[in-house]
Amino acid sequence: MTSAQKLAERPRTFGYDRAERRLAVRMVAPSLILMFLVAAVPIGYAVWLSLHQFSVRQAGLSRFVGLDNYLDALSSGAWWSAFGQTFTFAAASVSLELVLGTAMALLLNMTFRGRGLLRTLVLLPYAILTVVSAITWQTMFEPTLGLVTTVLRGLGLPGGDIVWLGESGYAMAVIVLADVWKTAPFVALLVLAGLQVIPDEVYEAAELDGSTKWTTFINITLPLLKPAIVLAAIFRTMDALRVFDLPFVLTRGANGTESMSMLAYTELRENRLVGEGSALSILTFLTVMAVSVIYIRFAGGNIRAAAQEKQ
Amino acid sequence: MKASMPAGRRRLAKSVVATLAVGVLLTGCGGTPANSPNSAAAAVDLKSAEGAKGDITICGGKDASGIHKNTTAAFHKANPTMNAKYVEIGSSTDQQRTQTVQRLEGKSTECDIFMMDVTWAPEFAAQNWLLDQTPVMEKIKDRLIPSTAQTALYDGKYWATPFYTNAGLIYSAKDKVAKPATWQQLYAEAAKAPGNRLVYQAQQYEGLTVNFLELLYSAGGEAVNDKGEVKIDSPETREVLQFMADGIKNGSADRAVMTYKEDETRLAYESGNFGYERNWPHVYRLLNKTKLAGKFDVSPLPSFNGKSAASGVLGGWNFAISAFSQNSGAALAYINFATTPEWQKHVAMDNSQAPVNEAAYSDPEVLKAMPFAPELLASVKGAKPRPQSPVYPQISQAIYKNVHAVLSGSATADEAAKKMAEDIKTAQDSF
Repeated sequence: MTSAQKLAERPRTFGYDRAERRLAVRMVAPSLILMFLVAAVPIGYAVWLSLHQFSVRQAGLSRFVGLDNYLDALSSGAWWSAFGQTFTFAAASVSLELVLGTAMALLLNMTFRGRGLLRTLVLLPYAILTVVSAITWQTMFEPTLGLVTTVLRGLGLPGGDIVWLGESGYAMAVIVLADVWKTAPFVALLVLAGLQVIPDEVYEAAELDGSTKWTTFINITLPLLKPAIVLAAIFRTMDALRVFDLPFVLTRGANGTESMSMLAYTELRENRLVGEGSALSILTFLTVMAVSVIYIRFAGGNIRAAAQEKQ
Repeated sequence: MKASMPAGRRRLAKSVVATLAVGVLLTGCGGTPANSPNSAAAAVDLKSAEGAKGDITICGGKDASGIHKNTTAAFHKANPTMNAKYVEIGSSTDQQRTQTVQRLEGKSTECDIFMMDVTWAPEFAAQNWLLDQTPVMEKIKDRLIPSTAQTALYDGKYWATPFYTNAGLIYSAKDKVAKPATWQQLYAEAAKAPGNRLVYQAQQYEGLTVNFLELLYSAGGEAVNDKGEVKIDSPETREVLQFMADGIKNGSADRAVMTYKEDETRLAYESGNFGYERNWPHVYRLLNKTKLAGKFDVSPLPSFNGKSAASGVLGGWNFAISAFSQNSGAALAYINFATTPEWQKHVAMDNSQAPVNEAAYSDPEVLKAMPFAPELLASVKGAKPRPQSPVYPQISQAIYKNVHAVLSGSATADEAAKKMAEDIKTAQDSF
């Protein structure tokens, strides 16, 4: 919001009297308190934990270590390789999901028989638990008995002899595929909602002006869809950066697929290094926060601008 | 995440006091705490088992074989004044561990006995969560196969009592391959045809540590010695890693093993496409339900080039008594009952688990139910525990991550051997 807009709004707020303001505060308070309890307190606690170390060798022993846990993590190869692998995964899966999701939304927005049924069916993958779908993908890529490998071998195509989940690159490809399969429909749903608010008149006008299907798409549909696509991108990126279940089930983090969340899990759960693990969780949290702030700063303006244009 | 935090504010207050008391240890910040459980850890009182009565609860994983159901029922029948109940607290070992840790952190009195994977005792003992079972082990030790008793030993004390054990076996297809005497012979035979290949567990997880240590122990190598010194950066480690990597490269072992855990291995072998399988004894019964029934042999794990005696890695489950148990007397009585030679026979006969009592293996009824008992006994007696340390999970990660890197070709045997030693030392330096 620019300062000019703020000034323009100011006279209106003068109209409220104090009592009304106090009422507003009181009405907002319960949700603020709830937010504080469910979000701020646990995060604060995790930060406090991350500044300590708790002995795994002697009962009840702990010590304050300041930022040591963070410095150790940031100077370790494990964190940076997990960082790189997580971003590789996020970039590959989110971009594919956006392209495929948008394409699916455009198809579903057409009028044809059985559209309602298809819209429901397309959402099915999103309704399946990630862990369940991960196990399904694992079975499909099983080297000797899996559906994918057997079919590829049967057709004499390359790939039938690859141990997909046992090789770097291929393992990541399967994880990206599993994620795209599951969440492209989610993107499609968001984009479809965006498509449906574009008024028909705009298309009619374009048609009258002799615009081709392609130029209509590029110059009208896409710009008007931008807020929906950006929103989907934010949601998906934040999710992708926290990915845990897919690599955990499919590879246990082997072959270049260990994510930041998996690293934190291993330290916290398996190794019971509570301080070190909390530091990794906070680092993951900060990374995801930073990325969403960047998104909102650079692309978020578009959402607001578009919203204002509509008004 | 929040649930696993060990330190509530009360514990913090306590640890601050402890910190002041042992200030010398901490002021340097680099000071390492004593490597042993607090001397405060209480030992069981054998007298409390006499005339014990009341209820006890045993908490453990899913009772798939029905062994716990049978044992608790038989215990009650033999001791009508006591009642034992088995509670499943997790369907996988990981989940069970998490649930066990949560209960112990919270000082829960729900469970009197926890079923412990053979690698857990040192870690839990270090937290003062378990009763020292040395007195009872001294009393019943002669019932137990020595190697199995060793899995409960840490810092000179016994923290658990073995209930049933486990050791790897080699299954071989009779019509295709011969029973192996050495790993070299097995790999050579397996490389002759794609249908002869070996399948084992080489996914990046605990099972790979076991599969690797089986070969390393047979080759005369070790990971960490009795004194806790890291011995893994050795010629034996390099030789075994190279052997395993070559085996995957030249087709002795199917490349797919890189993605296999126990179940995937079993299912792949059941397809009939392979010659050898390394797996646990429970596979025997399942394999006999497939088209391969009666067409396979079982052998103990072979030696490595005949250099050293054949060896392996012990699995199995031990009883630990919770430090927060309200009825440790009855818990002791239960442990005593479950480890008697008589009941150990039932462990094998009725539930196909490997007894910790040697005589059970030659019992005619056991042999009828478990014809491979002699091979299993050979494997169990030759097997050794995994490194006994409160930071075992980290030690195991150091092993399986680096072994996996060699098998996938992203590290050489030499690099991995050095890195393993380095990573294990880092783990041992944990606060």
